[in-house]
Amino acid sequence: MNIKIAASAAACALAFSSAVLAQAPAAPPAWKQGMGDKFKDSPLAPNAAKNTETPASEIPIDKFKVPKGFKIEVWASGMPGARAMVRGDKGKIYIGTRGIGRVYEVTDAGDKRTNRVLVDKLTQPSGVAIMGSTLYVMAIDKVLRYDDVENKPDAMPEDITAKFNLPPEQHHNWKYLAFGPDKKLYVPFGAPCNICEPSEQYAQIRRYNPDGSGMEVIAKGVRNTQGFDWHPKTGELWFTDHGRDWLGDDGPEDELNRITKTGLNFGYPYCHAAGVVDPDVTKADKKATACKDVTKPVALMGPHTAVMGVKFYTGDMFPAAYKNTMFIARKGSWNRTQKLGYDVLHAVPSADGKSVKMTPFLTGFLDAKENKFLGRPAYLMQMPDGALLVSDEQLGAIYRISYSGAPAKK
Amino acid sequence: MLIAFFAPCLSFVAAAQTATAPPEAQACVTCHGPDGNSVTPNVPSLAGQPRVYLENTLVLTREGLRGNPVMQGLMKGKKDVQIVAIAKHFAALPVRPPAPTADKALQKRGRDLAGKLRCASCHDKTFRGREQMPRLAEQREEFLEARMTVMRDKPPPGTDTIMNATLHGVSNEDLKALAHFLSQLR
Repeated sequence: MNIKIAASAAACALAFSSAVLAQAPAAPPAWKQGMGDKFKDSPLAPNAAKNTETPASEIPIDKFKVPKGFKIEVWASGMPGARAMVRGDKGKIYIGTRGIGRVYEVTDAGDKRTNRVLVDKLTQPSGVAIMGSTLYVMAIDKVLRYDDVENKPDAMPEDITAKFNLPPEQHHNWKYLAFGPDKKLYVPFGAPCNICEPSEQYAQIRRYNPDGSGMEVIAKGVRNTQGFDWHPKTGELWFTDHGRDWLGDDGPEDELNRITKTGLNFGYPYCHAAGVVDPDVTKADKKATACKDVTKPVALMGPHTAVMGVKFYTGDMFPAAYKNTMFIARKGSWNRTQKLGYDVLHAVPSADGKSVKMTPFLTGFLDAKENKFLGRPAYLMQMPDGALLVSDEQLGAIYRISYSGAPAKK
Repeated sequence: MLIAFFAPCLSFVAAAQTATAPPEAQACVTCHGPDGNSVTPNVPSLAGQPRVYLENTLVLTREGLRGNPVMQGLMKGKKDVQIVAIAKHFAALPVRPPAPTADKALQKRGRDLAGKLRCASCHDKTFRGREQMPRLAEQREEFLEARMTVMRDKPPPGTDTIMNATLHGVSNEDLKALAHFLSQLR
């Protein structure tokens, strides 16, 4: 399968004359690739995003549940599509989005929060990373650097796109960004399709020097990671990855992976989850070896759950047992008859890092009986006081989870 | 060109139904019809469109990521609550298509193609849309054809890649048939 037929970006279509287009074969949309005849009448389709503000009064915060001794509250709202959050040295918070094309800036006045749009009209600017007060924003086709952004509200960004050699396809190439302990910028490049044999530029995690130089591919066979973090003790990178669609309700499952050294292959497109050989792209004579030399996930995260942000907790507010353990957000499924996910899990890694023990931490977003969701928890950030912020992409809100040990008010 | 495109709208005077429209929607009816059923060539009907689709489209138009200069100008500075009110209003209006004028052969060609392209998996088997996916049934034929052509050939920034990929390689004649089939659904 030629990936050029997948998710043709505008540039691709523009390059063809209409005469050529008239003869080219029709390609299914990227997310629908690999949809076998079994699913041709399936009404499953991606969940609709909400692009309008949800007032705090309309957020069903009382329905959201945290363990005993913890408390959840609406911390900020009115930011449609809010995804990953980063916090500058001076306490300002920057939040990326996808479809609405904005990056928000939140100012915390202690008792309340205000927000403004830092930049808009970008194509899926979901990637935000900050070093001191230098903010990096990455969209599909743009990389912007804002120097001293917290002190200079009207500063014009430096356009450093050219250095990063971004490939053209949009699908799965909206970014999660983070600086590693090595001060390098880690950037995923997803597969530009549901299932295909992507070209060399895709299905990988790269790292760059902050100026875009020194690019290295550090992991391959990564379909679509939308979150990663480094273990505070071992320094190893842990990342989440979305499994492919249209193989049925029960798999292949999303993944939690660990990078023990650079250059590992995590299996895509031939080997999914803990050893599911892909039936669409794996040639008959390769089926027996499709999972050979593939690094298996540390944990399976449920079928189609859209596992997003992962964050190691290093604060002092939560009980000691939470230290150096992970919180993992699952935005929730679309390619599954019965919806699944829509929560934040607590994951405790074993001492050798080869397994994790997971329990639900934040729940109540999914009404399983009605098969409806109330919100979609997407990303996590730890505040200096040890509280945990959770972004809700559907309701455009940020929740604050704190611990006092006191039982919740009835 | 756009001005010429929209000039005919100005001659339409809002009629009785306008009274029920919220203030935010007053400007819309000039082109899109007093009851949200457009009689203006190349201007889509809004009646019966899914509320979420209308909201998303209007927000993206305001943000400058979708739409034409006329619509962008109209949406500039609109608050989210106003957009929600407009969307809610038109989503609730009944669809009133003109009497059918189906060309049986063209209709069949369009129906077969819609099946092949799996349009119904998003737009619903009735083609009346759902959530973020627009209603196609009973929409103005020339609008559907023009819109699909743009999505196939040069989707503007902010338009998702799904429709571009779906229509990739579909001939002009086939787009015409699709538009005919969808507009003639009753």
